[in-house]
Amino acid sequence: MALSPIDSPKPVPAAAKALPAKAKALTILNASTSSPSNASTPSSEGPQDLSEQLNEQVRRNYVTGSRLGEGTYAIVYSGHLRHDPTSLVAIKKLKVNKDYLDGLAPDAFREVRALQELSHPNIIKLYAVFSTRDQNLNIVLEHLPRGDIEGLMQNKSVSYGPADVKAWANMLAKAVWFCHENSILHRDIKGNNLLIAADGEVKLADFGLARTFSDPYRPMTYNVITRFYRPPELLYGARYYGGAVDVWSMGCVIAELVLRHFFLVSNTDIEQIDAITDVFGSCTEDVWPGVSRLDHYIPPAKDNIKRPKPMIYWKQHFGMLGDDGIEYLKSMFVLDPRKRATARQVLDHPYWTNNPKPTPKELLPQAAGGVEKMAEDLKRRGGEIEEGDGRADKVARKLNFADLKR
Amino acid sequence: MRLTEDEIYRSSTQFRLWSFTPEALASLRATTNSTATQRVKAAVKRLRESRNQSETNSEAENGTSTPVIFNREPDCLTVEEEMKVVEAFCGRAIVLGNVLEFPSNVIATGVQYLRRFYLFNSPMTYEPKSIMLSAMFLANKIEDNKMECADYAARITGTTKEQVLAPEFLITQALRFTFDVRHPFRGLQGGHMEMLAIAQGKAAVLPYVEKTAAEFQQEMLELPTQPGGAATKITQRELEKRLNAATDKARDTLKSSAIQSDAYFLYTPSQIWLAAYLLADEVLALFYLSSKFPGTIDAETPTGIAKLKIVATVRACAVLLAPDPALQKLSAEEKEAKRLEEINEVKAIHVKLRHCRDPDKMDLVKLNKAQKRDAGVEGKLEESVAKRRKLEREKNEKEADEFWGPELPKNGKKA
Repeated sequence: MALSPIDSPKPVPAAAKALPAKAKALTILNASTSSPSNASTPSSEGPQDLSEQLNEQVRRNYVTGSRLGEGTYAIVYSGHLRHDPTSLVAIKKLKVNKDYLDGLAPDAFREVRALQELSHPNIIKLYAVFSTRDQNLNIVLEHLPRGDIEGLMQNKSVSYGPADVKAWANMLAKAVWFCHENSILHRDIKGNNLLIAADGEVKLADFGLARTFSDPYRPMTYNVITRFYRPPELLYGARYYGGAVDVWSMGCVIAELVLRHFFLVSNTDIEQIDAITDVFGSCTEDVWPGVSRLDHYIPPAKDNIKRPKPMIYWKQHFGMLGDDGIEYLKSMFVLDPRKRATARQVLDHPYWTNNPKPTPKELLPQAAGGVEKMAEDLKRRGGEIEEGDGRADKVARKLNFADLKR
Repeated sequence: MRLTEDEIYRSSTQFRLWSFTPEALASLRATTNSTATQRVKAAVKRLRESRNQSETNSEAENGTSTPVIFNREPDCLTVEEEMKVVEAFCGRAIVLGNVLEFPSNVIATGVQYLRRFYLFNSPMTYEPKSIMLSAMFLANKIEDNKMECADYAARITGTTKEQVLAPEFLITQALRFTFDVRHPFRGLQGGHMEMLAIAQGKAAVLPYVEKTAAEFQQEMLELPTQPGGAATKITQRELEKRLNAATDKARDTLKSSAIQSDAYFLYTPSQIWLAAYLLADEVLALFYLSSKFPGTIDAETPTGIAKLKIVATVRACAVLLAPDPALQKLSAEEKEAKRLEEINEVKAIHVKLRHCRDPDKMDLVKLNKAQKRDAGVEGKLEESVAKRRKLEREKNEKEADEFWGPELPKNGKKA
């Protein structure tokens, strides 16, 4: 790129005198090579490390704009690319986690690790990570200004139909499938982790609880996934599980979209099992071989074996999906995780190609909510549930590793 | 819908950011080395100058002499010496991981972090021991092998929690905030299961391969024990034994030389496990590879070229993983002598390293604190400090003006 004659440097003293603003701009431009003036810390002396230089380059690509929201875990700013102010991003600046004393918090690592590997239209895009001088991580994420799926589901002023639900569900299913193809479990799928982009595309976000599939015989924690979306095997304390846990959560989100209220609701983990068995029947060795060996399993009383809801229940509540839709939805709710549909099987279902065809994303109904909603959703820590939204489940869930050692 | 393993691997950060050609790897190391050398020399020069200044002052009084080290240019490490040091600490990391009973993926991840870190940093700048301890702790965090940092530090003599955590941020930055490391362990396990299925006559035969599972099994039972050896006939049980032995041997290679070499930078996980298997049992490895191709292929066709290329790449990787053939021929005493020689060599480099450490980066704990302290005030406090300074400056100028009178107009211009 050639400099225009106007921009070309003039003899130094005159230029510095005449154009102080320009001189300042030049110093900033040169700041990345070395900053001898800033000698307050030892690290700023001498040439920078290669890694410091790389970080500096990344940092300089973005301009941080106004503050959109602040939570206990992060501050979310709007921002844009330095060379293109129209390309918006969200910059999530992680705060130092006061509860975690062993260095940088693991949920930040989980999120960055997973998103660095995943590049898919239905997963929030991680553009870059950089650090500022105070050793805070800044995660540059896709700008998703149109609220989330939970907001849509609850906003009664927005009306939508079967084709719209099919479109949203399909984008969710693709996101989950892609995570699992990449051997990543999300472990916190729910409506307010599904954000909506300016073009209507649904994006799975919040990978603060995500991890790679465990090796066989290596236990994982069962204390993941927000309760309403948690599958029975985790409620029973299963330590070996796979993609089936995310598929259950996905089923819950789709069911909520149809019902326009939360599907399986309870106040405690025990009650959550009741909420599940009320609809799907008791978990017994007959329907789920091996269930009684799970640590927290409580067998139902002999005279109180619940039966799954009959087809009429499904037709009444989920008729919007059609018969094929009811069948595919039920396949995500099979109690035995080994018989539950996989994300790939869900995508292979004829429901998607049957009529009605999913609504093109540009034509999908929209809700207000906008940028504030994005900030609200992004500033949470993985598994944390915002307070004061009238929901019973306000517990910020932490991974309990102590349990694993038993 | 289905993604191929190639597509998945190509989207990984390991492929996008941490895979190199041998030339690129060498040039990156050279750049890192020269940057660090410059830095050390500049820092030593600065120290020497400030010392000389105080020397001249004090020498006038009592005439003491300067310490030797600051009188000459520091003798910095070469790229090769740096690599030797890093390699030695990779070895120590493996020992540490085994003693503390970390899972093998945690050890392998930690060692890769160490190697990745020293692509962009020199041991002259950051001392490998503290980086190694911190990288191993970080690997536990990333691979969900939870442990308290205090417990970890307590199990390593002479190490505090602060020391373990101090370089963590430096490491995450040097890793370019990518933490996922793709290992060949699962690939090996998968290949083992596939081969076991062939041995049992239950092979999942690919559609374009015109052979039955039974034919595959028969062929496998008759494989020679050595490349180019005579065909044998063994029982299924004996074959399973052979498979288990080969997999165990390959796994040992993956846990040792695969993570201690540049293999992860130069090859994909599947190439690495196949190379390790090739070293363990060449006949089986090549048989497994051929089972993925049509029985008869023309070397001129794309498939034929691909097969030759794969075998060549796997063989090249195997050379990297294989123990030094010259070493193999030596007697036990000679080997021991060689080992001691190497230990002494590393020791000598360590002594040399002591004299060319970057004086600015000696105390990582202090450095980390300083950085955080400095930064903690970013924002409000810094603003107030800046404001105070500005006010002071203006006040001083004003006072000066009052005393000396206002500044005279320059260049003959009128004020």
